[in-house]
Amino acid sequence: MKILFSGGCKNGKSTLAERSVKALAGDGPLYYIATMIPHDDEDRARIRRHVESRAGMGFITLEQGTNVTRCLDRADENGAFLLDSVTALLSNEMWSENGYDPDAGERAAAELTELARRARHIVFVSDFIYSDAGHYDEFTETYRRALALCDRVLARECDTVVEVVSSNPVIYKGGLPF
Amino acid sequence: MVFITGGAYQGKEAFAAEKYGVGEDEIRACTEDGEPDWSSRCVTHLERYVWYCVKNGLTPEDRFRDDAVLTGDDIFCGVVPIDVTERAWREETGRFYSRVSSRADKVWRVFCGLPLELK
Repeated sequence: MKILFSGGCKNGKSTLAERSVKALAGDGPLYYIATMIPHDDEDRARIRRHVESRAGMGFITLEQGTNVTRCLDRADENGAFLLDSVTALLSNEMWSENGYDPDAGERAAAELTELARRARHIVFVSDFIYSDAGHYDEFTETYRRALALCDRVLARECDTVVEVVSSNPVIYKGGLPF
Repeated sequence: MVFITGGAYQGKEAFAAEKYGVGEDEIRACTEDGEPDWSSRCVTHLERYVWYCVKNGLTPEDRFRDDAVLTGDDIFCGVVPIDVTERAWREETGRFYSRVSSRADKVWRVFCGLPLELK
């Protein structure tokens, strides 16, 4: 089963996503695809907090900040995967050590599609950043358009699509595994 | 009349095409520089028309066809803009969408390409 969670920040997406992926994993392997690439001590501290909060939950961590399908080389495709978040992954693809890539959206969308098709169970977490009243600069607007492309492509691939509002699931497609 | 809203880039026009058979040649996108094409069956980006109105001290009007399929970006969930024009635009757009929605027979919200029926 494939699930996409999106919604506003701090609305409980990750908690529902963790619950879902654990229900899907059963006795099989449970993977956490860690997308953050640390740039400073603040990032490293944040990662440490995330690792500690996942400790004891049974996750095997796969660090993959870019070229996300490569994480499958080190995993059993019949397992259950949690990718949190599509937002961070796209950001890494768009702004890397090679500079700014305006076409990162198409590349990330293609990789995410392949990942969704190959993994037996996978849960994606994205962020809904499309309903504010700004006239943004070109970089921000390109990023918003690219993330929306990833979201729409994943929504098509996934069995279940959920918007999370104050920890409550609004189901646009399918159903939850718990 | 049908009104389709949702965040930016969510697939509102694709939904209009799929659900209501709107052809690409029927779609008229509003601009920030003038009035919409009132005679068109499908008018998109109503928020841009409201921007034009706010910039020029006009009140946005609803002179759309009875069988019109309209789309507009939801621009209401961010921080209150510092800029006075953007602030007025956000509020005026909210009021305009409410008027359009009350006239519409059907109102949809599109999220990641998927529709939710609001009316």
